Amino acid sequence: MYRHEGADVFVIDAHVHHWDASTENIIHEGGEQFIQCFHDYHTAFTPAERQWSIDEYRKYSAERMVEDLFRDGHDDMAVFQPTYLGEFYENGFNTIEDNAGLAETYEGRFVLNGRFDPREGEAGLEELERQKDEHDITGVKLYTAEWRGDSKGWRLDSEDSFEYLEKCAELGITNIHAHKGPTIRPLNRDAFDVRDVDDAATSFPELNFIVEHVGFPRFDDFAHIATQETNVYGGLAVVAPMALARPRKFGEIMGELLYWVGEDNLLFGSDYALWEPEWVVEAVMEAELTEDQRDEYGLEFDLETKQKVMGENAAELYDIDIEEQKKKLADDAISAEFDLGDQYGGATAD
Amino acid sequence: MAATAQPTADDVRARLAAVDDPELDESIVDLEYVHDLTIDGSEVLVTLVLPTAWCSPAFAWMMATGARDELEALPTVTTATITLDDHMHATEINRGVNERLAFETVFEDAEDDIEAVRRTLAEKARVSRQYRAVDALLDAGLDADQVVALTRADVDFEDETDEALVYLADDAFAVCVPADPLADHLEKAAETGLVREPTDRLFATVEADPIAADDLAHEQRRARLTGATISGQGTICEGLDRARKLKRD
Repeated sequence: MYRHEGADVFVIDAHVHHWDASTENIIHEGGEQFIQCFHDYHTAFTPAERQWSIDEYRKYSAERMVEDLFRDGHDDMAVFQPTYLGEFYENGFNTIEDNAGLAETYEGRFVLNGRFDPREGEAGLEELERQKDEHDITGVKLYTAEWRGDSKGWRLDSEDSFEYLEKCAELGITNIHAHKGPTIRPLNRDAFDVRDVDDAATSFPELNFIVEHVGFPRFDDFAHIATQETNVYGGLAVVAPMALARPRKFGEIMGELLYWVGEDNLLFGSDYALWEPEWVVEAVMEAELTEDQRDEYGLEFDLETKQKVMGENAAELYDIDIEEQKKKLADDAISAEFDLGDQYGGATAD
Repeated sequence: MAATAQPTADDVRARLAAVDDPELDESIVDLEYVHDLTIDGSEVLVTLVLPTAWCSPAFAWMMATGARDELEALPTVTTATITLDDHMHATEINRGVNERLAFETVFEDAEDDIEAVRRTLAEKARVSRQYRAVDALLDAGLDADQVVALTRADVDFEDETDEALVYLADDAFAVCVPADPLADHLEKAAETGLVREPTDRLFATVEADPIAADDLAHEQRRARLTGATISGQGTICEGLDRARKLKRD
């Protein structure tokens, strides 16, 4: 657990992956360009001494992931966001089954999310039910720009998609994470358009829509939608690492987010393995708005706000009682393995 | 053609500098997208590399056609050949741009026409520039009523100074304001068709409607958000571009 200004900050890293972009798994040049692009993001924002080589980056072990997140990375829990990309990778880039093993081994540490693709029709709906039955998922990660045959994406506000969202509501899968962000072949107003979230969020008030990467490069469109819809959230993956590399820019974006979207609707995510949470968490926790920014936005990025963004908001969405959770984590396998029990013990000692 | 009819590297660069990344509202020369430049008599060959192989084909198309058209507007240039390198859709874009095909012919699954994309981006750039222009006017002491009422005819750019005169109260007096933010705004306001006539209002909402004085503060916040989007995306692209250059070197 992270300590800041004498206070505990329970960190739920709301966006992590365990991917395989090894050359053996790539079946389309898009797969190679995808991982190269990810690695460029990594190189662009990671401190030089913390950078991974492209070979390390293609595929990493489960042991390394657990160490990077929980031993070194200040994460108390992490939410798996699967990314299939079946047209690019033989066995998928990162599937729910890849994640399930880790989630089972380290019970209580991971939230396992599923996925759907409305272009899969009836079979896709059955697959969604299977994910619920087998893994008891309460959230899904959606990749609206995923290729499938001739199709280069789909819309969240389409009739087919609504059928899936209805199924989610029925099954109790309430957290809909939509990747809306950095480009993967956007053709003009394309599959990364965030406006389709608007109609979906209005039509399904019982579901929560988390717009990952706060909609960049359509951050302004996202912010407008999130201002109007209380069930629309912003995921900070990709923005968070700017706290170290571009602190002023990070402050400006946080100022805008807190002003338009509000402190209750923002979720921290490291986007591991794009970045290791260790330095990202530290940078976000140390970040402050400049005096100009405080005047401009009329607000602060203070400890209480950070506690919400780093974990409390995600806990709310995933129905996690943080105090109860601390007790569970105090003597779980990870705490035992890395000798982390004391930090959680504090919760019950007094 | 006479042997002297060859463009200089400076001519070529000046023309390319007029081409903007439509999303980032910044010149492709300043952004260092021009990786190679060859002048062979009246033929010019330009190689562009964008920050990522996944950069929107629509944006890449606009920059490549923009570079081609700017260069071919030089009387000394007969042909400008643009090569987009290291891009997911380099083959389609290079063929389309150099064979002068329509974007929709090359990308049949494009949802909107490219002009619509261009307008949307120009509108965002206009709003972001407006934020800085209005800010400069408020800094100079104008109040909201005065700002929203300004027309094109109220602004005079002084020669050889970096200030503009803004006339107020039926031209009863003028206020000195930094010229750049106003000139930048006017450039995009003209391009988007917002300001054409001397009597046209200088500023408009994001939806291109007139701004009520009471709403100016709110409109400024919306415009600030658009500016934060453009510069935020610029930060991401600049990072990717740097990472990519390291890899290529």
